[in-house]
Amino acid sequence: MSRITTKSLRLPKRSVRAEHLGYFRFGRIGKHVVLTNDAGEWSQLTPGEFDAFLMGNVEDGHPRFEELRERGFLRADLDLDDMARKIRRKRRYLGHGPHLAVLITTLRCNQSCAYCHASRTDMHRTDTDMSLETARLAVDHAMKTPSPYLCFEYQGGEPTVNFDVLKFCVEYSRERNKQEGKTLDHSVVTNMTYMNQERADWLVANKVLVCTSLDGPESVHNANRPWTGKKAAAYESVVGWMKYFNNKYVEQGLDPELWHVDALMTSTKRSLKAGNQIVDLYVDLGIRNIHIRPLNPFGFATKTWRAIGYSMEEWLGYYERTLDYIIELNKQGVQIMEGTAATFLKKMLTPDDPNFVDIRTPVGSGTGQICYGFDGSIFPSDEGRMVHGMGDSIFKIGDVYNTSFEEAVNHPTVRSIATASYLDTLPMCATCWNAPYCGVRPLHNYMQFGDLFAQRPLTGKCQQHMGIVGLLFKRLANDPDGAVASIFRRWTIDRPRLADET
Amino acid sequence: MSDTTTQSPSEMEELVYDTDGRRVAFTLDEELYPREAILGAAYLFLDRCFVFLERPADQKVQVRLKTKDGASDPDALEVLAGEFANALLDQVVRFRVAESTGQLREYAFARAFFTTPAQSSIDQLLAELDDEELEEDDLEVAVPWEQDGGGQ
Repeated sequence: MSRITTKSLRLPKRSVRAEHLGYFRFGRIGKHVVLTNDAGEWSQLTPGEFDAFLMGNVEDGHPRFEELRERGFLRADLDLDDMARKIRRKRRYLGHGPHLAVLITTLRCNQSCAYCHASRTDMHRTDTDMSLETARLAVDHAMKTPSPYLCFEYQGGEPTVNFDVLKFCVEYSRERNKQEGKTLDHSVVTNMTYMNQERADWLVANKVLVCTSLDGPESVHNANRPWTGKKAAAYESVVGWMKYFNNKYVEQGLDPELWHVDALMTSTKRSLKAGNQIVDLYVDLGIRNIHIRPLNPFGFATKTWRAIGYSMEEWLGYYERTLDYIIELNKQGVQIMEGTAATFLKKMLTPDDPNFVDIRTPVGSGTGQICYGFDGSIFPSDEGRMVHGMGDSIFKIGDVYNTSFEEAVNHPTVRSIATASYLDTLPMCATCWNAPYCGVRPLHNYMQFGDLFAQRPLTGKCQQHMGIVGLLFKRLANDPDGAVASIFRRWTIDRPRLADET
Repeated sequence: MSDTTTQSPSEMEELVYDTDGRRVAFTLDEELYPREAILGAAYLFLDRCFVFLERPADQKVQVRLKTKDGASDPDALEVLAGEFANALLDQVVRFRVAESTGQLREYAFARAFFTTPAQSSIDQLLAELDDEELEEDDLEVAVPWEQDGGGQ
């Protein structure tokens, strides 16, 4: 048996004069202590300044006094009504209801991606197509949302394989909207392998936003996303069609800064060595926004993880290198932003919240988005139907034939997900410096740990979000000429692209 | 570990822990370290350690940390102990701040999400907070002379 020895640590006594302080959270990031509060305000202090702050020694005349007072970290002149206004603005999304309706027009797909989250089916499986009648009921259901803005996002499988249903949903929802008066967007997430000129021209003419998947240079993309029967052609196809769409937008006189094909990339082990090349490709294709996304624990990725996966630590190292490369390009005048960083920066640098359904509290499942499966099944989110596709229907909350909109969004499953993602109630999150900017993913927790809550330090999303926001704070702290802050502020500017006038 | 170089001896406190070469164990007094702070600090180590909690005596909580990778390097265990101690100090600050500012937060959230605020006015709230501070003023040096009945 091992001998027990007693040791001692000498620790600084930390005086806290809390009666001088406003509510704040804090964390140690790099050489600084970051303070944040519920209004999303933040300050970075040196450890010495932090100690002075805690001891109530940051008073009028102290170099940080005005900043800390204005941001609500000090009790002096604390304007709680102003704080309340800021909090309300940040959480404005709470009263809106779902603004994103994901429609799965089919599960059929002619790519067999190594990480497919959607449990796609082969091209002969027409039984996994959405019918026109189901589509009509799904559109009716989604349009009952109280949200004044609604985006229909068409997904699959490959959604253009069932193009008639896609067209019907666009046209029918616009017709219905003559009574509803909402602002509608339509967006198709396509791999381009089933695109032809007729479909492309219809999408352009009808102002359906186009988003595709481009994982990187030819060798990376074709390895990640092989096209059944045409293994070497996936990259060529997607790049060719992106150029076709972008040229069409210009021909139509649309502003190419606003009208261009968006692309998403998913990182596999192969991507981790190609970060800069992936960014260069996006820049060459005129894409202004690249999302450096990790793999998700859904669908085929759970089976292929050993071959294509990596640790979150490895992914964060790759993310950091790639983000720094993107910042360097921006310093040289190239306009490209990293999408996830931009989402967090909008929370950190503006008075608003971008209402990105996956990174908010509570998470948007059922309260910010709703998903309709090809057979009319209803899920709180796209991830819910992914779990369903893996044979577990725990997140199914009804179907368009029997379940009203109110029943769906008030479903106990939706409530449970909201409870499991409300940061103020979660251990560690409640006091975490990143709480004003973060969001947890109960469905990820369910897939990884078998429960909606999981233990925070073990979850990949916690490491990912803290890693990214920590990185942003570090870059802002080490920015003597303000160049990084200027770039980051530019990434927070959104220009509205589309209001559906038809 | 905390930077202790600028602290004078009187500004330091001692935190004792036991180690058997495979784990570290702290026995903590809840009067010095609120239970919420102890649990909050322990929670932060769930990714790296197996965490065991016991109550060896009234008002005492024992936290034992055993690394998941089975590390038995004395230096690594010493670093682990130091990191836990620092996390504990931070959690105590968080607890104190939350305790002191709870009413301010409640007011701000009530004001943000309800048309009629739960508190009648900000002045009333601040007056209540002032009263709380006076309660901790054992010598009542902050009590105005008139209210203290002085001179009577």
